[in-house]
Amino acid sequence: MASLPKRIIKETERLASDPVPGISAEPHEDNLRYFAVTIEGPEESPYENGVFELELYLPDDYPMEAPKVRFLTRIYHPNIDRLGRICLDVLKNNWSPALQIRTVLLSIQALLASPNPNDPLANDVAEEWIKNEELAISKAKEWTKLYAGKR
Amino acid sequence: MGNTFAKLDENENAFKGRSTSVGSGTMRPNNIAERRRGVSMGLSNNVRSRANSTGSQLMYKKKSTRERDLIKESFAKQLVVRYDESVDGGYLAPHGCYTFEKLDYDPSLVRSLITARKLAPFYIPLQDFDESWTRDELIKIVDGLPLHAAVNENPEEFEDIPIGNLKRQNFDELIDKSLSKKEQRKQRSKIFKARLHRKRIMWQEQENVAFLEQKLESKREPNPSKRNLALPSPDLNHTIYKKGIECPICFLYYPEPLNYSRCCLQPICTECFVQIKRGDPHFPHEEVDPTKPVTSDDEKDPNLLISEPASCAYCATPNFGITYQPPTNRKTGIGGMPPGSYKAPRDDEINVNDGSDSEEGPRTPSKSPEDPEVVTSDMIRPDWKAKLDKERLRLARRSANATAIHVSNQLVDPDHPSRRDSNTDSGPTPTTARSQRLVPNPMAELENQMVEQAIRLSLVDEEERKSSQRHR
Repeated sequence: MASLPKRIIKETERLASDPVPGISAEPHEDNLRYFAVTIEGPEESPYENGVFELELYLPDDYPMEAPKVRFLTRIYHPNIDRLGRICLDVLKNNWSPALQIRTVLLSIQALLASPNPNDPLANDVAEEWIKNEELAISKAKEWTKLYAGKR
Repeated sequence: MGNTFAKLDENENAFKGRSTSVGSGTMRPNNIAERRRGVSMGLSNNVRSRANSTGSQLMYKKKSTRERDLIKESFAKQLVVRYDESVDGGYLAPHGCYTFEKLDYDPSLVRSLITARKLAPFYIPLQDFDESWTRDELIKIVDGLPLHAAVNENPEEFEDIPIGNLKRQNFDELIDKSLSKKEQRKQRSKIFKARLHRKRIMWQEQENVAFLEQKLESKREPNPSKRNLALPSPDLNHTIYKKGIECPICFLYYPEPLNYSRCCLQPICTECFVQIKRGDPHFPHEEVDPTKPVTSDDEKDPNLLISEPASCAYCATPNFGITYQPPTNRKTGIGGMPPGSYKAPRDDEINVNDGSDSEEGPRTPSKSPEDPEVVTSDMIRPDWKAKLDKERLRLARRSANATAIHVSNQLVDPDHPSRRDSNTDSGPTPTTARSQRLVPNPMAELENQMVEQAIRLSLVDEEERKSSQRHR
């Protein structure tokens, strides 16, 4: 087992000492590359008042490779599919090693505030979002209540 | 036969001959045809003499497996950190923040860039830095640093792979001859990789031991003039480490000056810089209308594959490059005074020096990637074009194979014996995509398409079913 790179240790420390409002990320005790994450739904979005659980994993090549992030809580969003996988540029082609766990989670929070149905991952949701946005938003609110209620 | 290879190996050892001058002709040939830009850098002789070699022809000119192995080994040897190959207090090979497998830049080019002081040397990083350390504490800490970070001796991917006797170049006896030719090739490549991994550890370990022994010997030697001058003097270690900077990518502490991005003037250590490269060749990303069917990548023209130059990690400006302004307060190692002879300027001299010092980082505005002072990511990996061509060829071949299978299926179809004549002559051409399929009957074509569509749909369905099950 290779030792944990200094960068991961320092990032973890800084996340704890200087947390991001509305976001929490804590490493698992037995695997310090694996984080339990929660993100609060942004205000004035269909996800407002929801608390979403995610998992985040730092691959061996992190930070040259993006962290792997997935929603665990079900969410109705055109860029997030039924498995919780996220279509977000910074998690794929636009990843940069200067980004951090912190910035990635902020980007995900921003994605909740502004869904992009023209670059979909969940085709059915995206289709509905384009055809009848109002209905889609009400469905997203409903799912938020149903699955992402505060505990 | 065996003799030839032994000789080749000897030539490579010649490279290890610690030549302290750049461009001693021992560099390996490199495919640099793509990149003449790096020419004006005092490297010109090297670069030019190598320019005519491989380049994008690499893929067309087949090298023997053994030749390729030797090239790989010689690359790996250039990635060993050697204590007597230093520049201004740093070294010519990375300390090991990233694994061996991730070092795929051209090492001879990077070594030349460092000795030409166009790129910061690979310094040994400090995990942390505490400003309250006294001079003696700092010197002691730096003195205890290893040349190279610890390496995992048995990574998972090499578990259970025999490596045999590393001293012998030939390891054919380790290959299971009962396997198919293809499997044998695969096994051979795995064994080669596992052996190379071990050899690299061994080479670095030898160097670490030599470094340590020299340090101990120097400490026992009362006469300073008899000490090994390749070892950094305490003054040198103190000068470079007392004022450092954290690299924003690996979060490790390095001596100043580091490299600075050409576009937004952000610092980056050389170890992180050599990791940044083009992404794998891919099809352009397009926004799609979810109400329309998507074309799968398999159906796209391989020539549409693109490869984009790396972007700046900090500001995303395309064509990432750095500039480096070498320190004015020290010039040691290759092209300078012996590191062991370095003495820090006396206090009264420091003030005079500090004014013109470049250690604050570059004050120059951003530079274009063509600027002769800039080192770009593409420059240290001149083989990117060959890689793109290779990937295009691979896809084209795959699509041609698919077409060939398709056509031959039609040929054996008893319903259409007439096709035999019209099709066999032309056969599949390597560039054929689906669109060029040789089917004379439009009805049959339509039927084929429907069947294909049905198969695709059922595959998608099956995937959906599986994923929803997993989700429950």
